[in-house]
Amino acid sequence: MGFLKNYIKTVYEAVSSLLKGMKRTGYYFTHHKEIITQSYPDNKDTMILPERFRGEVVMPHTDSNEHRCTGCTACELACPNGTIKIITKFEMTPEGKKKKALDTFVYHLELCTMCNLCIEACPTNAIKMAQNFEHSVYDRSQLTKTLNKEGSKLMEGVE
Amino acid sequence: MFSLEKISIGVQTALNNSLPAFWALMAQFAIVGVLVISLFAVLGLVLVFMERKVSAYMQIRLGPNRVGYKGTAQTLADTLKLLVKEGLIPDGADKFLFRLAPYVVMISAMLLMAPIPFSRNFQIWDINIGVLYISAISSMAVIGILMAGWSSNNKYSLLGAMRSGAQIVSYELSAGLSVLSIVILSGSLQLSEIIQSQENGWWLFKGHIPAVIAFVIFIIAVTAETNRAPFDLAEAESELTAGFHTEYSGMRFALFFLAEYANIFIVCAIGATLFLGGWMPFHVGSWSAFNQIMDYIPGSIWFFGKTFLLIFVIMWFRWTFPRLRIDQLLNLEWKYLLPIGLINLLLITVMAILGWHF
Amino acid sequence: MNMESIVFYMLAFLVLSGGIMAVTARKIFRSAIYLLFSLVGIAGLYFLLAYEFLAAVQVVVYVGGIVVLIIFSIFLTQAADSDLPKALRGRKVFSFLATAAGFALVLTQILRHNFIPSGSEPVSTNVTEIGLRMLSTGEGGYALPFEVVSVLLLAAMIGCIVIAIKKPGNS
Ligand code: SF4
Ligand code: SF4
Repeated sequence: MGFLKNYIKTVYEAVSSLLKGMKRTGYYFTHHKEIITQSYPDNKDTMILPERFRGEVVMPHTDSNEHRCTGCTACELACPNGTIKIITKFEMTPEGKKKKALDTFVYHLELCTMCNLCIEACPTNAIKMAQNFEHSVYDRSQLTKTLNKEGSKLMEGVE
Repeated sequence: MFSLEKISIGVQTALNNSLPAFWALMAQFAIVGVLVISLFAVLGLVLVFMERKVSAYMQIRLGPNRVGYKGTAQTLADTLKLLVKEGLIPDGADKFLFRLAPYVVMISAMLLMAPIPFSRNFQIWDINIGVLYISAISSMAVIGILMAGWSSNNKYSLLGAMRSGAQIVSYELSAGLSVLSIVILSGSLQLSEIIQSQENGWWLFKGHIPAVIAFVIFIIAVTAETNRAPFDLAEAESELTAGFHTEYSGMRFALFFLAEYANIFIVCAIGATLFLGGWMPFHVGSWSAFNQIMDYIPGSIWFFGKTFLLIFVIMWFRWTFPRLRIDQLLNLEWKYLLPIGLINLLLITVMAILGWHF
Repeated sequence: MNMESIVFYMLAFLVLSGGIMAVTARKIFRSAIYLLFSLVGIAGLYFLLAYEFLAAVQVVVYVGGIVVLIIFSIFLTQAADSDLPKALRGRKVFSFLATAAGFALVLTQILRHNFIPSGSEPVSTNVTEIGLRMLSTGEGGYALPFEVVSVLLLAAMIGCIVIAIKKPGNS
């Protein structure tokens, strides 16, 4: 008898759990307002990207064309696929000392996996993730970008 | 009132009056052939679109929505693409069998169309052993699948074909048993008579709980027989890269694809015929006024409505349940469906003998 | 020649050519498929005789059962693309002789038999009749053979289980 009871119980539980699943999908099927698909590119203006979406690495600049990158290459070392190449130069400080500074921040978008490791590695919060994702170009070389702007310099007080 | 029966009789008399008997018969063959093929084509388009929309809504997506009005022309575009695509044959393949396999699958699907009653007296062949014929022919499709899997000379295809064979052969038993219960209730193998026996109510309602159990078993078994998720181990994309039709492309692939949907339609049509009364309108015992109102809806609409309802249920399964493992699949059949089906058959027999059904 | 004889000759051609190709094919899987054609042709002949029940049973048993079983055993035992070895000369001669003898036997029987032409109406046997005969114990009933066969099947089934079952503690 115990066997039979177990058997019926298994069948009952199986059927009820399957019905539960079907209830869920049935709910979605009849409630179209739950749909999360966005009709890109029709909705380009109203499109909402999730907060944590990562599109590319950028380096914010202030109005006076200053960034916070010291050229420490921590991000270059942190990157798992060699996406970042920091070219440094030596600048003379007002005291007459030589000091390492950023010359060019080369960023290979085509290699980047948007893993966020470089951003976490940066001691001065000089770079961050942006949400732009429309990266398609006709030539691969256009994906290699320089993140620091022409003539920019290090922000005062950032070490 | 619109009726397919009158049209078919009209065409028949017109042909017989204007042509000698032999050519009239030939013309009828041709008409039936063209109708079946065009029904298949339309079914393919409609069902693929339906499946994509249903799956999309169940997964909170939009589904195809660009080509044509709200995406309705999407499957047409896909078909065109498949038509112009190159059909590759792998080097080590058995070329003859590789070419033959899709046609075997397709032809067995077409043969299954013969005894299905679309409306009152609108049936290609009212064979007196209809139900047996259906189970006979449907066992032929598995040969096409085995052929495809073997001739591709690809281990995934072979595995897929073997799984599919094992699955179809074992689930045929349960499907057969549940069909048998309706045969016992109605006392006939002929589909038209089975429908006639449901004039005062469908077997699903007349047969009490055993009929409902038989119906559920039937639906599960035919889902497995048509190789659809959750029983799609035969073509499991993630393990077998589509199984027996891995190597197929272009039109030959399209034939397999079409046959799959045609088979779904056919098994659902059979389910609708056996359990839901086919083209028989919804009748309740002795409410003659109600029954008359229901009679105003043409039988073909009833038939297609019920069939598509069942198709929707099967799609619902597909987009809800995860795929079974092979041992779970065989467990389900041999430890659950078959014993329950047998006991159920016994109950139904007792019921039919004692006349407990309505 | 009327419609019926055209169909008959087509089916006969299918049966015979399928049979010949099944024994001469060099790939075993193809043999199975040709055998299938032959069996389907025989089912077609039954349909032509308006004996639908036997036709359907032929398809269920031979196509759905036997051929699938054969194909499965090929899948499990044979390499997909290897040819069978060529038959030896002696075996060829012997099998030809055996076939010829069998053919002669059948032919003499057919020629000696006095066929009675039936009416133009096909003799129809309905399923109810067959079912009742199967279980009747009276004159022309098949209850005993039916039960014997079912016992045989049961024995076969138990045998399969005994062969396939895992011995406890012997995994
Ligand atoms: S996000 Fe990852 S891959 Fe991209 S640059 Fe930063 S560390 Fe490299
Ligand atoms: S971005 Fe940050 S981690 Fe990278 S070089 Fe500049 S300061 Fe260093």
